[in-house]
Amino acid sequence: MSHYWILAAILLPIVGGVLLYILPFKNKKYMHSYVELIVIITSVITGLVLFKGERGLLEVVHFVNNLSISFKIDGMTVVFAGLIAILWPLATLYAFEYMEHDEREKSFFMFYTMTYGVTLGIAFASDILTMYLFYELLTLVTVPLVMHTLTREAIHAVRKYLYFSLGGAAFALMAMIFIIIYGDSCEFILGGVMHTAAEGEHAPLLLWIYLLSFMGFGVKSAVWPTSSWLPQAGVAPTPVTALLHAVAVVNAGAFAIIRLTYYSFGTDFLAGTWVQYACMAIAIFTIVYGCSRAVKESHIKRRLAWSTVGNLSYIIFGATLMTPLGLAGALSHFVIHGFMKITSFFCAGAFMHVTGKSYVYEMDGVGRKMKCIYACFTVSALGLMGVPGFAGFISKWNLTEAAVESGNGLAIAGIAALLVSAILTAIYMLGVVHRAYFPKNEAVTIENAKDPGWKMCVPIALCAAMTVILGLFASPMVEFFEKIAFGIY
Amino acid sequence: MMLILSIIVPILWGLLILLIRDFKSRNALLAVTGAGLAVAAVLGVAVILSGDAELFLFSFGKNLSLYFHVDNMGRIFAAIVILVWLIAGFYAFEYMKHEKEEKRFFGFYVMVFGILHGLTFAGNMVTYYLFYELMTLLSVPLILHNRSKEAIMGGLKYLFYSLFGAYMVLFGIFFLNKYAVTMDFIPGGTLDMSAVLGHEGLMLAVSFAMIIGFSVKAGMFPLHAWLPTAHPVAPAPASAVMSGIIVKMGVLGVIRVVYYIIGADFLRGTWVQTVWLILTLVTVFMGSMLAYREKVFKKRLAYSTVSQASYILFGLALLQPSGLTGSLLHVVFHAVIKSCLFLSAGAIIYKTGKTNVDDLRGIGKEMPVTIWCYTIAGAALVGIPPLSGFISKWHLATGALESGLGVFSWLGPVVLLVSALLTAGYLLPISIKGFLPGADYNYSEITKKEPKLIMVVPLLILAVLTVLLGIFPGKLTEYISALIGSVL
Repeated sequence: MSHYWILAAILLPIVGGVLLYILPFKNKKYMHSYVELIVIITSVITGLVLFKGERGLLEVVHFVNNLSISFKIDGMTVVFAGLIAILWPLATLYAFEYMEHDEREKSFFMFYTMTYGVTLGIAFASDILTMYLFYELLTLVTVPLVMHTLTREAIHAVRKYLYFSLGGAAFALMAMIFIIIYGDSCEFILGGVMHTAAEGEHAPLLLWIYLLSFMGFGVKSAVWPTSSWLPQAGVAPTPVTALLHAVAVVNAGAFAIIRLTYYSFGTDFLAGTWVQYACMAIAIFTIVYGCSRAVKESHIKRRLAWSTVGNLSYIIFGATLMTPLGLAGALSHFVIHGFMKITSFFCAGAFMHVTGKSYVYEMDGVGRKMKCIYACFTVSALGLMGVPGFAGFISKWNLTEAAVESGNGLAIAGIAALLVSAILTAIYMLGVVHRAYFPKNEAVTIENAKDPGWKMCVPIALCAAMTVILGLFASPMVEFFEKIAFGIY
Repeated sequence: MMLILSIIVPILWGLLILLIRDFKSRNALLAVTGAGLAVAAVLGVAVILSGDAELFLFSFGKNLSLYFHVDNMGRIFAAIVILVWLIAGFYAFEYMKHEKEEKRFFGFYVMVFGILHGLTFAGNMVTYYLFYELMTLLSVPLILHNRSKEAIMGGLKYLFYSLFGAYMVLFGIFFLNKYAVTMDFIPGGTLDMSAVLGHEGLMLAVSFAMIIGFSVKAGMFPLHAWLPTAHPVAPAPASAVMSGIIVKMGVLGVIRVVYYIIGADFLRGTWVQTVWLILTLVTVFMGSMLAYREKVFKKRLAYSTVSQASYILFGLALLQPSGLTGSLLHVVFHAVIKSCLFLSAGAIIYKTGKTNVDDLRGIGKEMPVTIWCYTIAGAALVGIPPLSGFISKWHLATGALESGLGVFSWLGPVVLLVSALLTAGYLLPISIKGFLPGADYNYSEITKKEPKLIMVVPLLILAVLTVLLGIFPGKLTEYISALIGSVL
């Protein structure tokens, strides 16, 4: 398969999204079929390109010297693009039911679909310039989604999101310039492109630049101290929170950090320097911080968002170990957290959609009425806690194995942080499960609670099933990640 | 094959009970539950009797496998699990009449039976950890059964303390993955000494974390606070199995870590052993003291469990054959005794609704059989010869004296003795006041309140066992000594 198909995968949802706004649809049903069709075709193309596509560089626009917009497929691409290609059609299906009473459905689906293309752009980007371009686009295209409800809170949240993201991108831009100037090339190559610069007199400066860009890209994956935008952005409709703020956007941040660490600066250069310890300390702190805030929060979506803050830093912690095993651990949590967190967000959204309530203390006894939803929520809770047999255990196991293996003193603190976060996760997730199934005697259960329609239940059940399947049969996937990390794939 | 069935069948059976929408009558529910318990017990016994079976079930990742291995240590625990679980189960048939939502109780009760088989037959650390977590999660509904505020809070407290302990264990497992040759249970330990070389401090810290982690279930100070909250709020049969069995699974965990993975030699004489000994002695004394001061009957028994479970841990911490023998004997005896005590407390609550010890004057006149069973079991727990508790405490005390651990070799027996006195002080007055309420007691109001046979027979069986095990401990002690020979 020619690698021009990459362009098709990126452009189809973007063009399709714009057309959606222009085309007159007779009724909702046609529009829904159109959107789902575009998304599924994109996923199919992506899948084919990833597994059958030609390897090698696809240069689309050439500016000057080595600056160009170009794409390629490597291990990281397969992981990220593959993940979102699976999740996007499911989330779109879920959105049809969730948005059924919304008046501005059309504009919602337009931006929702366009985001798919932009995210694929980040995954396929072969150098830092291309990634930066799509990274900025991602911020802009998701702004209308966050402020969709146009309430005061939404506007406030979007303002914060915009300032934080653009600020972060500015730091990232700095890194890009330094890489272009000092790097051997600006393509992503496992092991990094700074071999000459690492020997040179600017090495100490470059470490500072790495720290800045780490913080810059870290904004999107909600690393402390820039994590507060994520819970606030929970005012967006649930399909956005579930897919973008638990998987696509936040993972894009983690993805960028991995690219930067392993493919641009290179672990040979960074490992053992003060900057590695600084970044790892930030990640460890964020793990504990995010989970603690989640325990304190009683709004279900904000609670899950804080949980995402903590879990994203698992990935970053893995990345800052700067060993191949660390990368493999980070990638396993990258994928596994995606499935688990989208399940829990979907369930929270289903609860809000059906009952119109949104606080944990309003969930008394609903587990007995919304059976399918809460069964899936329980699965995701057990997964996030890391009970063996569920997917979360596998990624924690890989991360800690890498941490022990690295022999790094701070990494042991990281393991302790993972376990502290596990107990906090148990508190904030099982607290919900508990209330839903075993309400106190005098508690009042919401009368009209029942399972939603198939468009919601099917995606939720599939994602929950993935949590179990990945927990039991993860070996092929983990081996694949190790191949990527050791550069064999 | 039998092995896997003994685990899977009860779990599925329990699930079935939970999923069936409505049973036609209460009797149908009891019939299904009874059959489930019986089948599980038969399968369990078959596994115990059928030689050292091994089963590699499934691998869900590198170094992560479900592996079962039946050994003598597992057999002892499996035997008491089956005994107590069956007896308390049949007792529950009558007791649960006055609780609502019985279906849920019996469903989870049968499921946990299967999980316990998994724990006792587990052949490596990962399998043990998996079933340990499942046991915690599935036993919570037994505790919070009546959904009163205290029950819910008790259930949550149990859950989070236990998970905290489990994660400390997991912390250790992460390191064992690198520093142990294998995580299979092999008598004497499996540490990879060449890898540990230079990292002894880390390894000791890891061992300590794992010991503390498993001891949470056994209510060792400073993480004991959940036990007196959670055990009493559960329905009596659940309290009985919580104190009799679930606590012992923490003990089994400690045994597996110390004697089958880390190895006693590695810990002997280190700070880990010293701190561990201090913690157990503090708990023994503190538990008895708190029980002595407690007025709520079941809560008093729960504090007693705190104290008695640390007798067992003290014996383990001696890292010495006699101590270990005493511990294992006490595991068996305490399981039988404490379930008997809790079940009698349950019988009293069921018939009279009285929960406070001060209200129990004259109870022996009303329920003589129940209180006699209570008295025998109580006397056994104090350690009055020839009842069973005496044998285990004797071994524990000689173990301490022989251990050559300086101050602990005499301090240990002293603390055990003081605690035994306190035990007499908190258990026996109930019998004394029960049978001899005094001259000012209104004898005309006494009515016979003995519960039905299905509740009395379990009590009798347990009481008779405490006596028999005390008079004829020979076979059991021999069995344990033979087993210890391979471990130490």
